[in-house]
This record gives sequence, C-alpha cells and structure tokens, in this order.
Amino acid sequence: MEVDATYLAQLTANGIILGLLYALIAVGLALIFGVLEIINFAHGELLMIGAYAMTFMLPAVGLLYWPSLAVATAVVALCGLLMYELFLSRLRPGEFERSILVTLALSIIILHVVQYAFSASPRIVDTQYGFDGWTIGAIRVTWTRIVGSGVALVAFVFLYVVLKHTRFGRAMRAVAQNREAALMVGVEPKVVARNAVALAAALCGMAGAALAPIQLVSPIMGQALIFKAFALIIIGGLGNVPGVIAAAVGLGLMESWVGGFFEIVWQETAVFVVMIAVLLLRPDGLFKQGTMRVG
Amino acid sequence: MKLLSAISATLLLGALPFFTSSNYVIGVAISACIFTTAAAALNLVYGYTGLLSFAQLGFWGIGGYATALTVMTFGGSFWLGLVWAALIDTAIALAIGYPAVRTNRHAFVIVTLAFALLVTLVARDWVSLTRGPLGIPGLPAPNLFGFEFKTTPLFYWIAYGYALLALGLLYALCTSRIGRTLVAIKQNEPLVRAQGISPVPYKLAAFAVGAAITGVGGGIYAFHLKIIDPLFLDFYYMQTFLIIVITGGAGSYWGVIAAGLIMSTLPEVLRFSADFRMIVYGVVLLLAVFAMPGGVGGWLHERRLARARAGLI
Amino acid sequence: MTAVLQIDQLCKSFVGVQALAGVSFAIEEGSITGLIGPNGSGKSTTIDCVSGFQKIDSGRVLLSGKDITGRPPQAVARAGLMRTFQTVRLYERFSLRDNLTIAAQQFDAAGWVDELLRTARYRDATAAAETRTSELLGLVGLSRYVDADASVLSYGQKKLLALAAALMPRPAIVVLDEPVAGVNPTRIREVEDILRGLNSAGQTFLVIEHNVEFITNLCRRVIVLDQGRKLAEGTPAEIHRDARVLEAYLGLTPETSATEMQGAA
Repeated sequence: MEVDATYLAQLTANGIILGLLYALIAVGLALIFGVLEIINFAHGELLMIGAYAMTFMLPAVGLLYWPSLAVATAVVALCGLLMYELFLSRLRPGEFERSILVTLALSIIILHVVQYAFSASPRIVDTQYGFDGWTIGAIRVTWTRIVGSGVALVAFVFLYVVLKHTRFGRAMRAVAQNREAALMVGVEPKVVARNAVALAAALCGMAGAALAPIQLVSPIMGQALIFKAFALIIIGGLGNVPGVIAAAVGLGLMESWVGGFFEIVWQETAVFVVMIAVLLLRPDGLFKQGTMRVG
Repeated sequence: MKLLSAISATLLLGALPFFTSSNYVIGVAISACIFTTAAAALNLVYGYTGLLSFAQLGFWGIGGYATALTVMTFGGSFWLGLVWAALIDTAIALAIGYPAVRTNRHAFVIVTLAFALLVTLVARDWVSLTRGPLGIPGLPAPNLFGFEFKTTPLFYWIAYGYALLALGLLYALCTSRIGRTLVAIKQNEPLVRAQGISPVPYKLAAFAVGAAITGVGGGIYAFHLKIIDPLFLDFYYMQTFLIIVITGGAGSYWGVIAAGLIMSTLPEVLRFSADFRMIVYGVVLLLAVFAMPGGVGGWLHERRLARARAGLI
Repeated sequence: MTAVLQIDQLCKSFVGVQALAGVSFAIEEGSITGLIGPNGSGKSTTIDCVSGFQKIDSGRVLLSGKDITGRPPQAVARAGLMRTFQTVRLYERFSLRDNLTIAAQQFDAAGWVDELLRTARYRDATAAAETRTSELLGLVGLSRYVDADASVLSYGQKKLLALAAALMPRPAIVVLDEPVAGVNPTRIREVEDILRGLNSAGQTFLVIEHNVEFITNLCRRVIVLDQGRKLAEGTPAEIHRDARVLEAYLGLTPETSATEMQGAA
C-alpha cells in the first residue's frame, strides 16, 4: 500500500484538530470527576446545547463567529451552573451510582426536550469564514477547523494557568485530592464544585459551538461523542488532565489515520476494546492516577 | 395479603387473551411481561447486589441476536435459540464479570457501559454475522412440535410463561440465603468478608443469572417484533429497565414488578408521543432519585421502620 | 497451654512509613489479652494484617497452628479468627436477627441445595442459629430488638451487636478493635462484665484499646506496642511499673502510675 505523504499529512492535520475537540469535551468530564467524583452523563447534551446555541446565534449576528461562540459558551456555562445548583449540589460525595442516575435523567430530559422542540432533523450552519481555508502545499484545512482547534488550544492554556496559578485552580486540585483536608484549610467544596462544573460546561459548550460549523448539528450529536469521552478519561486516567488531552489527540489521530486507510468500521470497536482492557487491567488508567494532576 | 394479590394478579394476567381480542392490548401485555422480567433481573444485580450494570443492555441484544441467528442462519428452532441465548450470555457474563466485579465501583460501571456499547458496535459493524444496520427481518412464529404460535394471543403465552418462570426463579433466589448474602454484600462488603464469606462468587452468580434472564427476554422480544437490528440495542431499553428498578425500589422484589407493569402500560394508556414519554421517564427518574430514593418499595419499608422505632421508645 | 494466635516478626510499611517493624507475640488459649500503645504504634495495622485486610510485607501468622499469613479476610474468618472494627460495622438495614444469622452462615454444613430442598441438615442449621442468636442477644441485653432494623440501635448498642455477631460461630479467638471507644462509662462496665463472663466460659479474646483502665480491669496480660514493635509484655501491674512503657506511652513516673493503679483496682 503506497502511502502518499501529503495524504498522510492531511489526515494528521485533521486528526489533531479532531483530537483537540475531543480533548475539550473529555477534560470537562475529567474536571467534574476530579472535583465531584461524578461521571456526568449529561455532558454530551451540554455540548449539544452549545452547538444549537451556535446555530441560533450565527444567523442573528450576521454569521459573525466570535460573538456567537462567546454567547454559546456563556449559555452552556449557565446551564452547567443551573445543573449544579438544582441537582448536583444535593448529592453527597459517596453517592456515585445516584449521580449517574441523576445525570442520566438530565441527559434524557435535555435531549428529548430539544428533539421535541426542534425536531430530530440535522441542521447545518454557516459562519463568516464560509468554506474558505488555508492551504499549505497540498494540504487544505478550512478556517472553521483551524479556528476551532485554536480555540481549544487557547482553552487548554487558560485551563493550565487556572489550575496551576490561581487560588481557584489550587482549590480545585485540593478538593480533588482530599475533600476533608481542603475543608480544614478553609476551602469551600461547594463553591469550588459549582465553579468547576461551570468551567467544565463552558469548555464543553465551546467545543459544541466550535463543532457546529464543522459537522451536522442534531439532538443526538452529544451521545456518540460522550461515550468516546468516557473512554478517553478512562484511558487517560480519571481526573488526570494532561493524560486525557494526550489520549484525546491520540484518538483523533488514530481515527483519522485508520479512517483514511481502512474501513471506518472497526476503529470505534477498537477504541472500546482498548477501554475495557485498560479498565480491567489498570482501573486507574494507562497514565498514572492523577486526581487532578496538571503536569 | 401480599400473596393473595400476587396470585390473583397472576391468574388474571394469564387469562388476558380471554378478556380481550385486541392485538394491540395483548401486544402491550407482552411488552409488560418481558420488560418487567428484564427489570427484575437488573434488580437482582443492582437492587440486591449493588452493582450498577449497564451490561444488561448488551446481554439483551446478544440474547436477541443469538435467538434470531439460531433460527435464521443455523436452522434451529426458536426454543433452541433461547437456550443458546441463555448459554452465550451466561458464558460472556462470567468472562467479563470475573475481572469486572473485582475492580472498584467506578470501573465496574464504566466497563459494563463499554461492554453494552461494544455489543452495539458489533451488531452494526459485523455485517457478515448480523447483517449490519439492515438487521434480520422476517423472524418466523415459534413452532413447538408442529404447533405454531402464529397469533399475538398465542405468542402472549410464551411471554407470560417466561415471565412466570423467570420471576419465580428470581423470587426463590431473592428470598433465600443467597439473596440475603447479596444484600449484605451491597450494604457492607468488608463485614461480609470478615464473616468468612467470599463476595466474588455471589456477585458473579447474580451477574450471570441476570444476564441469562435478560438474554432470553431479548430473544422473545425480538420474535415479538419479528425483526432484530442494531436499534434493538438502543439505550432506550436500558433507560427503561433502570427507571422501572428505581421507581419500584432497588432491592424491592414486588416494588419492581409493580413498577414494571405500570411503566409498561401507563404510557400506552396516556398515548404520549415518543419524545414526551422519554421526558416523563427522565422527570420520574429525577424525582425518584431525590424524593424517593428507595422507590415505592423503599418508601413503604421506611414507613414500617418509623412505626417500629416509635413502638420501641 | 497452646497458642491460639502466634505472630512472628510481622513487618508492614506504607509509602515511606514503617508501620510494623517486626511485631511478635503469642495469645494463649482461654486468655484475655490487651493490646495497647500510643497512636501510630501499629495496633490497628497489626490486626488488619492478621485478619487479611492489609497485605503483609514479611513475617508469619499462625492460627491454631495453621499458617494463615497473607490469607484474605474470609479465609482467616473461616480458620477461626473473628474480629470487630473500630468504626462499627453492621448491616444497618437488616434486623438484629438477620445480622446474627448471617454471621453464622458460612460455618454451618448446609448449602444452597439443602436450602432449596429444605433438608434436615438445613433445618437443623437454622434451628441451631436461632438458639445461638437468642442466647447471644440475651447476653448483650438486646433481645427486645431482635426483629428491629439495626439502624435503630444507639452507638453503644451497635458495638454490642457487633460483638455478638463475632461470637456467633464460636471462633477460636475474637479480636476486638476498640470495643469501648466512644461508649459511655456505664456501658463500659457492662461490656467488661460481658467479656469477663465469656472469657471464664472459655472464649479467647484479644482486645485493642486506648482506654487503659478498661484493659487493666479486664485483661490478665497486656502487650504494649510502640513504633511498630513490641515494647513490653506482662500483667497490667508489671506494665504500669515498666519504665519504658511509662516514658513512651503513659507519660508517667512510677509514683503517679501507682496512684493510677490504685484508682483502677
């Protein structure tokens, strides 16, 4: 099989971009798990809300990308806040199974409300960038993809700064490591938790908004992605932020390469088999258990 | 009192086809029988043993496909198909259950979830075996020594018989020492071990029994629908089983059965659209988790407890 | 007299901390021995290692002559060592009756087939468990709660129930992990009497406690641990006079200790 260098490069570019978006989603999940010990089944629906918000904002502001992205992100952050205040705050730390049921219920409600209100038909949305792209040599990447991954990169840098250098970030890491100890030094877990959920929702909503111009928007778009995100936080290590990002980019690349050369058919299966294997062999994930390591 | 109502309900349900000739009503009853039993199987694994297993969906699908393939691809009878469904599901349950029950809670839930999704992917992608997204249509009526269960009322008795047998088995299990040990494991596993009992065989047994019963239910349901395709593994089924268990009361044998019968029939009575029905399911689940975490069964137990406590003071 | 429990050079370290640095002692059959020591001396770690709840780095544990080193908790229990826990462990949603019958379950001869067919073996086992349950509940004074959920009991009562559960299978030795911590003083006397009574009937006990007065009153022999090693061993009187013990643990001189002894007697 001859491998065309430019084809491979194109696949790689696409793969990295895809991976960065996966990472945005998964990191939010990892944050929530690290701070609240909850696996947020409604995370995919937060992404979907971000995407839908984008599809409404863009036409309203004349297809301007950045204001729409900002508004969409804010909307989802708000949803995250609401979700926490109304439901998640009522859960106590050890109630893992209950948290799954609650977020599962929210996921069902959100998905079907959106489907009921806007129908299941997929939507396409256009931005100011249209289908223009950037061409290096024989590789072409659309602006929407470049911008999308740029947003993701900036978000990760921002997250790194927050986690390592701000009081809030340190508080999050403290709570993730040891709730009682954090309480004793004056950290308020509820405040930290609320902000962590809002932050995670914002990241996820941003990913959804960035995805909206790139692929079809439909009520079920979150579902397919969320299970991959679960796989990523398992493989990367529950709560281990850099590990998750690495795993996500790896997944994006793998999907892109495999999809480019083989039938797309088996790569999803492969991801899940790897996930199950990792879970059974090393319940803490392939990368060392971080409880919110930053790097 | 409980026994009396149980017996009368059983007899009434058994005689259903004599009360009505509506295929629609009987169809609803078939679903009720199967879903209630599948939920009761989940109750054994989650309600009694405390293992939140999403794998039930996978076993449901495998059971459905195993039965369908036995008949359509390998030329066996429906009944043989059900046997294969039970055997294959039990074997797989033991294989993944053994490492899964020995990991921590978080990992167990995710492994079972991954397993269910894996089965969905295989159903969709292993086209040479499962015929992929097109599925296997035209599943014939079950045949027993020449007698064909051709009509819906006749098929009802297969579903009814299955429900009776499976629920009976579950009853025997849940009220035995084994059932009591499972509940003990759920409450305080270190104590169970300190009392000389090894939890792993019990967890595995519950997991395997739950898998087999769910698998047979899947097989029967597939032949009721007369087609099986990857949609059979839609998360909707898992959500339905879960909601029945939570509203009935995780760990409450009769609560879950009552909830199963109600949740299977009520939406039909109320004629909701598919989306609205799911929204209601979600809201009910939310309410149950916050307002009645033990479900109806648990709520009744709490009331008895409060009375007992008052009596002791 | 034979040693029911024998521990040889038990070593265990956690990340960077040597919790046990070679603990050795033997518990004679029919004795009631106390295990005391300052916080961090390794009392709970020793028991967790012996009962299989922690992995042992090196050393040997013999129960009635059988090597149970490193065996999991269920195997240790089946070999004849029952224990209670510092934070009381019960089945809160079970009745007292069920709490006790489960504790005996693994030790009777009836299996699930026996139960299914209601064989004589099953019925005998059930009847024996019933008798023992009534006997033990009567002993700890909880008979009237037999069918109530364990959650209705007070903290002190729960500790008594846990003790009763540990006694159900008539084990070779019962290890009690802080049986009177957090229990009010009147109740402590009660527990002392119960344990003394059981011991005179032949039950072997190893009691870990911080409450030195309790140990002094109850135990004929006391083992003192300090920094993962056995510091001293002897009668309560001998321990109270031992300079090393006083220095490391009680913070007393022999004079003030004598006053303590008089107060406790």
